[in-house]
Amino acid sequence: MFRYTVEEVLRRGTLLFYFIIASIIILILALGIGHPVNDPDAITLFGSPIPRVSEQGFNMIEFLLIQLHSLSIFWIIILGMFGVAGLVPSMLEKGMVDLFLSKPLNRAELLMARAFGAVTGIALNLLYFFVGVWLVFGLKAGVWHWGFLSSMLYVIYAFICFSSVITILGLITRSASISIMLSFIYTIISWGLELREHGLYRLWDNVVYQRFLDTLYYLTPQLNAMLDNSTRVIGKLPMMMNVPDFTFMPFLYSFFPTCFLFGLSIWYFSRQDF
Amino acid sequence: MEALQTLDLTKHYRSGSFTKKNIPALEKVSLSIEQGEIFGLLGPNGAGKTTFVKLILSIVHPTSGSATVLGYPLGQRKLKEYCGYLPENHRYPAFLSAENTLIFFGRLNGLPESTLKEKAHALLETVGLKDWAKVKTKKFSKGMLQRLGLAQALINNPKILFLDEPTDGVDPVGRKEIRDLLLSLKAQGTTIFLNSHLLSEVEMICDRVAILNKGNVVRTGTISELTTQKLAYHIHLSSPLTKEVRERLDQTILPIEYHETSLVVTLHEKPQLNLIIDILRSGGIGIEDMTQQKTSLEDYFIQIMKGENG
Repeated sequence: MFRYTVEEVLRRGTLLFYFIIASIIILILALGIGHPVNDPDAITLFGSPIPRVSEQGFNMIEFLLIQLHSLSIFWIIILGMFGVAGLVPSMLEKGMVDLFLSKPLNRAELLMARAFGAVTGIALNLLYFFVGVWLVFGLKAGVWHWGFLSSMLYVIYAFICFSSVITILGLITRSASISIMLSFIYTIISWGLELREHGLYRLWDNVVYQRFLDTLYYLTPQLNAMLDNSTRVIGKLPMMMNVPDFTFMPFLYSFFPTCFLFGLSIWYFSRQDF
Repeated sequence: MEALQTLDLTKHYRSGSFTKKNIPALEKVSLSIEQGEIFGLLGPNGAGKTTFVKLILSIVHPTSGSATVLGYPLGQRKLKEYCGYLPENHRYPAFLSAENTLIFFGRLNGLPESTLKEKAHALLETVGLKDWAKVKTKKFSKGMLQRLGLAQALINNPKILFLDEPTDGVDPVGRKEIRDLLLSLKAQGTTIFLNSHLLSEVEMICDRVAILNKGNVVRTGTISELTTQKLAYHIHLSSPLTKEVRERLDQTILPIEYHETSLVVTLHEKPQLNLIIDILRSGGIGIEDMTQQKTSLEDYFIQIMKGENG
């Protein structure tokens, strides 16, 4: 089931789109980035030399990598959501679920193979983009930025946490479109909860309400915080000086709700009649 | 050991998010199926036939009761290793070819990778889809999907095969081929459990059947037990009836259907048969052959359903 799901994910139009865009970006970078022989402290971008670090301390390489990283995670979350939100509902379709459940597999195995097959499909796409960009920067500009490469692992982890939400939504709604819609709402809620102190707190000056928002924040995977932190692994630009440093906490806090949601999904799936 | 045995197997569905209305689908179904037999489960739509199979394969959970398949209780992984299942309106991943579909389901059954391809090809040949091995299933007709479904159900060499409307959408030649395949599987010792609306087919291949109505088993027996009208006899005569003999037969007030050299008599009780024979013999009419009258399974089924449903 795992292997089949990976194959199914990679064939999804939305992820093929991501793959094509990633390929174009890698190709453009490969053609555009150079390394001037006479200046080891610069890179060339389509023939124009650019200092790696400006006199004001602006790291051009990290700026470029952070932009590429942000672009990539935005699209992988959006396209990944469209690509994988339908996987659980499609497994539960009448005529399909009967076949799967009649096989000598327990339901937990089946569901987890589906969920992690989806994550693996996404991870393979991310691997392609991040390793591609990393190799281009390394081979063409002599910049082997390990922070950029390792940031991919944090994004994959964030997507695993996100997939626990997608899985339970798919299981309960049994509908790809509703599941996509609710997953999208979750990403907005996650963003809203992350910024609750500057936004949602101000809507109602009530301690109970504020503690409720806090509880909700810690009870759900902190998608937004994890993605933000994955960017900080690459580096901090001068305009990000007020942004806190990288922390493992959102990843740690998200681990428990993720396990809880997967556990809840297994429990729910094992009790259902089809 | 029985291939399948159920004891008071009951399933009530609950519908409605708030009201949780109780909908009985099966009520205390107790059946016993011998190894190597073809058993047919008949019933009108909504009788609970599919629910019964789904209960056995743990696709739905029983409300109460128990069942064993080849000695394994419901829910055991080992049980499913021995089962093949062709559900009604089954669907396959559209992006897989026929060959890859069988390989995929073979993997789900835990079959060794080395044998899968060979096994898939052999089964595709058996169900007449050899030339379609590399074609994606989204291009398949209903009948072809049904054949592929049958191959899928056989991928693990099941000891017990559950088929829900296996010939649905298949042309008459294909139906005959499927029937022949089922009979050859039976000859190899496979137990076959068949859900079908096509009573003529059930009659042709099933050893025993059960009739299900509104979740209850209303009749069980061999085809012959169910279709034989115990008190109706078809008597073949050596010569046509004379007027005198016919008058005497009419005086018995039994319902008699007259043909040129035969008659069908329905008795109220068995000893009346001697009276009929005496009348014929004393009138000089010889009896060439006498058989118990049979009805078709379809007629019997309709008769039962009318009786059950008032």
